[in-house]
Amino acid sequence: MNRILSAGFRLSVFTLIFAASPLLAQKSKPAKIKAAALQVEMIQSDEIKLPAEFQVALYENLIRQLEENGFSRVYRDGDRNAASVADLVVLHSTVRGFKAGSERARQVTTVSGTTSITVRCQFTSPDGTSLLEQDVNGKVRFFGGNLKATYDFAKKAAHVANQNFSTPGRE
Amino acid sequence: MTSRTTTVLVGVASLFAGLVIPVANAQRASGPVKVVQLTGLVGVKDNAKGTLSVENGQLHFVHGKASSDVSASSMQDVATAADSQRAVGGTIGLMSMAAPYGGGRVLSLFRTKIDTLTVQYRDADGGLHGAIFTMPVGTAEVIKKELVAHGAHTTASGEPTPAASSSSSPNKEQKQ
Repeated sequence: MNRILSAGFRLSVFTLIFAASPLLAQKSKPAKIKAAALQVEMIQSDEIKLPAEFQVALYENLIRQLEENGFSRVYRDGDRNAASVADLVVLHSTVRGFKAGSERARQVTTVSGTTSITVRCQFTSPDGTSLLEQDVNGKVRFFGGNLKATYDFAKKAAHVANQNFSTPGRE
Repeated sequence: MTSRTTTVLVGVASLFAGLVIPVANAQRASGPVKVVQLTGLVGVKDNAKGTLSVENGQLHFVHGKASSDVSASSMQDVATAADSQRAVGGTIGLMSMAAPYGGGRVLSLFRTKIDTLTVQYRDADGGLHGAIFTMPVGTAEVIKKELVAHGAHTTASGEPTPAASSSSSPNKEQKQ
């Protein structure tokens, strides 16, 4: 009888520990940084030769994905209206790795021809203070043209922004 | 004997003309060019088909009843590249992948060459935009030259660079 009670007690202790751990994890999650608006700078690729269409596709997809992820005020590179915004966060993106791949190779072999791109995303305040820095990659493995990797990157980068920044009306 | 020689000469000349004329036509592109706008023009959906021309210093894109203009003087970079796309694309191309005995893969080998035109321009507020177009071979460079003549800036000069996306052999990954 005692053995059954002791086993039951242990079981309930274990259950409590496992149930409480996600709650504790949620508590330790860092608070989101307040961002009234985001300004996206043009993608830089000084050290890696990146075709112009990739550079533009990365930039355009990034802006679109940020807007679709609830950032109501996304400013483009050089937009004068961004200068007067309080709590503005500036996103600088630098290409760190690029593999062109081949759509034909992907479709013929399935296992080769992957297009991949790695971009260092740095979120800063307007004065240049770094708020967050993270590498984000985009890939296309099977279907679609090579530029689809830019869409994959943009989705992931917008997710990173979504996880770390809060905007008014979307906490 | 003479008639046979003449026939052979005419045949060779026709073949040569057949090879040269399409290239010459592609280089001309004085009128509107059929293009696909991949992304970037304000108010135009991605992958919109239409015609592109340079009129009065404006890059003029017409899609159905709607049209979009970008001033050449607002362009801070115009770049061209050579690319290729599947000859059989779209839904049929996707469905063909399920064809037995690798039939769809064979179709993937057939590709058509295209040009890409990438334009970076600024709006009235100074915001930077980028637009990408695909078009028939030889037309992008002509449009680029017209835009540059009307005040567009370009960082790259000379012949179009082969786009990385067009390469049939996978390039080595570049890393910083």
